[in-house]
Amino acid sequence: MAKIEEVKAKLEAGKAKLVPGLVQEALDEGNAAQDILQAMIDSMGVVGDKFSAGEVFVPEMLMAAKAMSKGVDVLKPLLTGTSTSSLGTCVIGTVQGDLHDIGKNLVAMMLESTGFEMVDLGVDVSTETFVNAIKENKNVVLVACSGLLTTTIPAMKETVKTLKTCGLTGFKVIVGGAPVTQEMADEIGADGYASDAGSAAVKAKELVSAIA
Amino acid sequence: MLTKRQNLMETIKGGNPDRFVNQYEFMEIILEAPMDLPLAPGPGTRIKNKWGITFEWPADQIGSFPVHDDEHRVLKDIEKWKEVVKAPSVFYTDEEWAPAIAHANSVDRKEKFVTAFCAPGIFEMTHHLMGIEDALMGLYEEPELMKELIDYVVEYELAYAKEVIDHIHPDALFHHDDWGSQKSTLISPAMFEEFFLPAYKKVYGFWKANGVELIVHHSDSYAATFVPFMIEMGIDIWQGAMTTNNIPELIKQYGGQISFMGDIDSGVVDHPAWSHEEIAKYVEIACKRCGKLYFIPNLSQGLNISSFPGVYEATSEAIDNLSKVMF
Repeated sequence: MAKIEEVKAKLEAGKAKLVPGLVQEALDEGNAAQDILQAMIDSMGVVGDKFSAGEVFVPEMLMAAKAMSKGVDVLKPLLTGTSTSSLGTCVIGTVQGDLHDIGKNLVAMMLESTGFEMVDLGVDVSTETFVNAIKENKNVVLVACSGLLTTTIPAMKETVKTLKTCGLTGFKVIVGGAPVTQEMADEIGADGYASDAGSAAVKAKELVSAIA
Repeated sequence: MLTKRQNLMETIKGGNPDRFVNQYEFMEIILEAPMDLPLAPGPGTRIKNKWGITFEWPADQIGSFPVHDDEHRVLKDIEKWKEVVKAPSVFYTDEEWAPAIAHANSVDRKEKFVTAFCAPGIFEMTHHLMGIEDALMGLYEEPELMKELIDYVVEYELAYAKEVIDHIHPDALFHHDDWGSQKSTLISPAMFEEFFLPAYKKVYGFWKANGVELIVHHSDSYAATFVPFMIEMGIDIWQGAMTTNNIPELIKQYGGQISFMGDIDSGVVDHPAWSHEEIAKYVEIACKRCGKLYFIPNLSQGLNISSFPGVYEATSEAIDNLSKVMF
């Protein structure tokens, strides 16, 4: 098996201790750093799809993301001058009044693995904080709002409304979380909805490619 | 008319209940039993419990959360768990036990089950100590150390169970441990079988070997794929079973081996704008699709309360109304 294929296989299996060495071997074999990075991004997509399908669970996602992160560490010195991120910046947070972060963190990991540069605002994020983050960071192409509680749906609605009317442009808004549905996302004016971290990565790419 | 206890037994044994078991009515939960407080007690409070875990209940929230920043996380490196994790004593004074004993003695045990309460659960304790990400990755990266930690928590639970049994002689146990999100379990069935099934077989086996007739387990989540394990570990009633589990199908498949308590998702009916009409609608849907046996209509919340005042009581009223129609 070519080393780059081994990188992909071990990343999908969440072998965080093995992936950095394999990435180095793939480089030694003559593969370009950018190609190895793309192979790892593709593998995370596979893991995300399996998560969406219920074939793998949260620990497997976490382990794959950790393996990805360790692999990227090996590539980083070689990617200087070109960004490790090619899709732009994503601002993410759990909306005001909600402290749940597991789902938000999984989405952040998947989006980062897909190629977004992430700005994670944490939990209980006010509308104002979302808006300021867009102003303060370069090339924000996506804002991701998460919420688990039914009671925070009004906060999500308010956040989306403000993001859409604040005068800032060049980004799409994606929403998700246990009480959120496609219907609700449409109703509150979000550009996209995803039901889990795996499909969030797919939807996010689709949304930002429409900007370009 | 059957007593609440008799009606519960008829329901879960496939007999002839004369009405729906109404939510938590069959359990008299002895919350006065001294225990390590697992959560912050109310909005605007922050506590550090005896395990060293900090819990915060922000004033504008509806629940309490463990604090897992670097300053507060108890266990930052699983390799050091033996040095860092220290279980609190399970021994309390007679004075501390007195209110619980008085409460238990006041219960007519023909009418209701004197019920011991245990929270957090074994899985929850691992992530309260470590943070959820580290706890879940630990199952992959350091499985033997995680098993040691789980065994340690089990030993604590067994020691506490002995004290509770000696003091209040419970007929039932109500035990929390959330195992999933709304639509999936957090870990795979295989991982659950390896790490948590043996732990719970020990714990629930001990309670049952010491006079506890009924094990009620709370997990307000999806956990349909864990039902065979629930049966194996001795759970009689799964409380908090959410609609995402397809409970009618589970009843068809497992009724007689386990019963299901829920099918009314708190998130759907327990909100600031709640109404009697909305609650009645969802109670009717639940009761009609799940039927009279192996099912207890109930909000998915893990105690006989609601987040917004009046919702629990309105749900009970709607269930009583349905009983009059369907029985």
